[in-house]
Amino acid sequence: MIRATTGGVLRGYRTNLTKSFVTLNKARETVLTQRNFNSYAENPAAAAKAFQLRKSRMSVKSQYSICDDTYRKFQTAWTSLDSIDKLIDTDNGSAMKTISGTTLNALNDPTADARVQLGKALDQMSENIIQNLNQKYGENFIFSGADGQNVPFEVVDNKLYYRGIPVDATEPSVVLSGGSPQTVDSQGNLDPNGSYYICSDSVSTMKASDFDAITDPTKQPQVMRDAAGNPVKVDQAGNLDPNGDYVMVTTDIKTMSKAQYESDMQNAEKLEYLAEHEKYFVDIGLGFQENEKGQLIESSGFNAALNGLTFIGYGVDKDGDPRNIYSLVQKMKDLTARVSDGKWEGTDGDEFTRLVKKLEAASSNFKTEYTNMDAGTTKLENNLQLLKENFYNLQEQYSALEDADMVESISNFIWAQYCYNSALKVGNSVLSESLMDYLN
Amino acid sequence: MGTVGTFDTFTTARLGIYAAQKGLSVTGNNISNINTVGYTRQRLDQVSLKTGGNDMYRSQLDAHVGTGALIRGINQIRDPYLDIRYRAEASSVGYTDKMLTGLDQVASILDEVGRGEDQNLGDGMLYAQLQKLAESLRGLSASAGTESNDTLVRTSADALVTLFNTYAGKLETLRQNTENGFKDDVTAVNEILTSIRDLNSAIRKSEIFGDNALELRDERNRQIDALSEYMQIDVTYSMEDIGAGQQVEKLTIRLGNANPDPNVDTDQTCLIDGIYGAQLEMPEKVKAPDGTEVDNEHYFLNVTKLVDSKNREPKDTSINAGRPVTLDDNDLYGSLQATRELLTGNGTFSTQNTIDNVDENAAIERGIPFYQKSLDLLARQFAKVYNDLNQGHAINQKGEYVYNTGTLDDKGNPIYKPLEVPEITYYVDSAGEYLGLKGLDTPPAGTDVKEITVKLNKNINDNAQTAFNKYFAHLGFNGKIYADTKDFLDQNGETMNGGPLFSIRGDSDITEGITASNISVSHSWSEGDTKIITSYIKLFDGSVSNTTQNENVDHMLTKINESLLYNPKDLDPNAASDKLFYGSFNDMLSNMCISLGNDQRSTNTMLNSHYTLMIDVDTSRDSVSGVDLNDEAMNMMQFQKAYSAACRLMTAVDEALDRLINNTGIAGR
Repeated sequence: MIRATTGGVLRGYRTNLTKSFVTLNKARETVLTQRNFNSYAENPAAAAKAFQLRKSRMSVKSQYSICDDTYRKFQTAWTSLDSIDKLIDTDNGSAMKTISGTTLNALNDPTADARVQLGKALDQMSENIIQNLNQKYGENFIFSGADGQNVPFEVVDNKLYYRGIPVDATEPSVVLSGGSPQTVDSQGNLDPNGSYYICSDSVSTMKASDFDAITDPTKQPQVMRDAAGNPVKVDQAGNLDPNGDYVMVTTDIKTMSKAQYESDMQNAEKLEYLAEHEKYFVDIGLGFQENEKGQLIESSGFNAALNGLTFIGYGVDKDGDPRNIYSLVQKMKDLTARVSDGKWEGTDGDEFTRLVKKLEAASSNFKTEYTNMDAGTTKLENNLQLLKENFYNLQEQYSALEDADMVESISNFIWAQYCYNSALKVGNSVLSESLMDYLN
Repeated sequence: MGTVGTFDTFTTARLGIYAAQKGLSVTGNNISNINTVGYTRQRLDQVSLKTGGNDMYRSQLDAHVGTGALIRGINQIRDPYLDIRYRAEASSVGYTDKMLTGLDQVASILDEVGRGEDQNLGDGMLYAQLQKLAESLRGLSASAGTESNDTLVRTSADALVTLFNTYAGKLETLRQNTENGFKDDVTAVNEILTSIRDLNSAIRKSEIFGDNALELRDERNRQIDALSEYMQIDVTYSMEDIGAGQQVEKLTIRLGNANPDPNVDTDQTCLIDGIYGAQLEMPEKVKAPDGTEVDNEHYFLNVTKLVDSKNREPKDTSINAGRPVTLDDNDLYGSLQATRELLTGNGTFSTQNTIDNVDENAAIERGIPFYQKSLDLLARQFAKVYNDLNQGHAINQKGEYVYNTGTLDDKGNPIYKPLEVPEITYYVDSAGEYLGLKGLDTPPAGTDVKEITVKLNKNINDNAQTAFNKYFAHLGFNGKIYADTKDFLDQNGETMNGGPLFSIRGDSDITEGITASNISVSHSWSEGDTKIITSYIKLFDGSVSNTTQNENVDHMLTKINESLLYNPKDLDPNAASDKLFYGSFNDMLSNMCISLGNDQRSTNTMLNSHYTLMIDVDTSRDSVSGVDLNDEAMNMMQFQKAYSAACRLMTAVDEALDRLINNTGIAGR
């Protein structure tokens, strides 16, 4: 620049004073807002990251709320199950108030006078179990799986139903042919168009060779025969098998209709699905993602469904006895109701003893599931802790990004103010004396 | 020795006094105008006067002396190169300043940094509301089937769409204000052009009468400087013969060759040619490349014919041939162009037609429409996802599609049965790529071809879906052909239509054409007639109820954070690009703000750079043309001393002549 003119100097001063004021204003804004940046433009990468962290924090907050709610539901469930546990447990110091204690008393009652009364007590306690399983948390039933708005257990004609399905339903065992149920007529004769099946538990077989050895037809037992009148070859269990070594004795066989068979099959399938496969997932911060087919990845959610069936058992065992506690107790109650003059009727005593063992097995299953659920509760409890820590970690992370270091910010502000004040001071001398002032 | 005039030196002294006095006047004028905007310091143009010449009596031994100082005129001290540099920077400052102002205004709407509710300050508004919707969906998921949770989701969704509407409304207001600003700028440019033209005319007249019209030139320079902020210009001066051997200066202003396309010459269109000036106008309609007239959606400008103040065209008719000139998209550079780009910058939403025929860089120019359309696309995608999720086809617990048998079970519930669609087989290669449908397509050659047999199920993969689409469209089912699997299910399966959750108006359920400005919670949802479908599962043919099953709510919940493709064609089928962004709703919002933030940063950097340069050049210009008090004080002293000296000279000559006249030749008296 050849000449520094008055106007040029003033323009330069004005421009620099503006810059100095802008810097001061920025420093002041940082101190006032306590933020490192106030727009994406100031730091796009940090702003985007801070929003991501804040989003995560918001998610964690609501996941904590859901987890806490689920935890409380499980705690309520735990309280109900604990009550049931006490009802069936023998070791709670109050045997008379427990099913186990009551059944033992019924077995061991030396006079057997109290057996009828004990049976009534059992009935009441089994009702208590059902009442506990019909508890609600909030607006929904706890133990109804994914059907929280409907009461899960109902007793109709002394039979227990879970969501409308008899809990003792089981897959009927019928005589098969080539893997499929063999149709017969109502009398049990082979009939490809028949509408009945032969119940396997009513079937008895005998070695074909033994049968053939009985040469006197009048002494031969009644066996299943084909259209030609030849004994049908079966395996030892009674299933049709052209190469079988056995024949089926049909003297006392029972049949069941196809409709009944299908209904039982469906009920068994339903129970199995509801107890083992029905789930509903909630987001408690485990990822909650779907796979490429749009299905939730199960490990990324928490299965909050509690199925009462799982705890009290369902279906029947190989002996045909119910697996669930209620039905067992009801059966035992029925046996005690038949006690007369302190004596079991017929083999009821043995039956009662056998059912006691079944009850022990059902109780054991209950305790296992109870413990499993407790593990779920613990998982929720731990998750709550993790979420809480995660929440604070996220807060720390975005604070580190967003929050201004006040020591640095105030230093910057003081320095900017100092510079601005200096610029103002300089302003007094910008229009310095010129030659004009020295002219005489 | 030549003749010496007796009173010559008086003339010399007189001229010296004149010159000094004029010099003092010029100095005074400079001092007076020290604060006048656009004033150029003036300088006395004086020359040494020498009268006479060679004559018959001239002797080689003669010594000629000048006869004083002659004032030839008053000049301005100005550097044209600095003017060129200044005006080049001014157009850059005009462009970046206007662009930054526009982007800042967009950011004031969309940039949510530091915003939020109360203690969550910084969570953002729209950004946070998306997460609040997720929060309410989590609540519904945990307690599906509960009426109050459905209401909570709806309330949250309502707040979200209100924010969409608010942001879109503000962006539209900004666009309208910018459009009005553009029209005002065009008017301002036209006023400047008119002013320059009229100043040219006045200067020309002055020049004819021998006046330099310096003050008019200053004003003209000021107007040209102002014009240069609106558009890049090229200013040239030439001499115009006005007859009788007299020439006057002619100023010509052309557009500054801003278009990088060498085949375009409209970017050098003449705006001012001496006393003739053109105007800018924004036509309602412009001609499309195919010759049809279309709306002027690109804010093209026309340059009118050059006319003088009495609306007369130049005698040379070729000057106005082809006018009005429609300027090409990139012919301008300056604040006008910045406003145009703010109004037309569709970025990734640009159509192929625009890229081919208007601006090849259209896809990377992001103005207000880009952010409006991005927000619209986000709203549309959001609405589509949730509207789609709230209607579908019922399945059983195995994922098989079911149909309503029309019969009721003993509890009065409808009985559903699985659709008995045959299994199909399709071909894939070793990499799992779909190769065709068995029975319809020719079996692919090669040893790595595999056959995969599948049954129709909700959980089938994309290959199987493709195969089934083809199956239903070509082979059909039970002798009937369908458009695709969805069509088959629509006609045969149990369609569960929970109703749209979002629509274009709160009093309707219309979902076509949803944008950020019109997205609403649908009428039926707000009235409670529509509910969120929490589950599509008909458990065991519908015989077992599952009132709190929530798989569809979970699906909705995962969609909040799931990455989705944002396809500009979904908003405008003519858009050239088919990918704007791939990410979640929040990521899309963030991406918009990152683009905006980066544009703001780069524009701000450019503005600072250009502004600093402009100030530097202006200061340099001032160093040449500006008034400085020290200079003027020196001039003042100089002229004052010169004046005194001239007066002294006159006194000396007077005394000398007095001696000659009165005291010479009187010896002896």
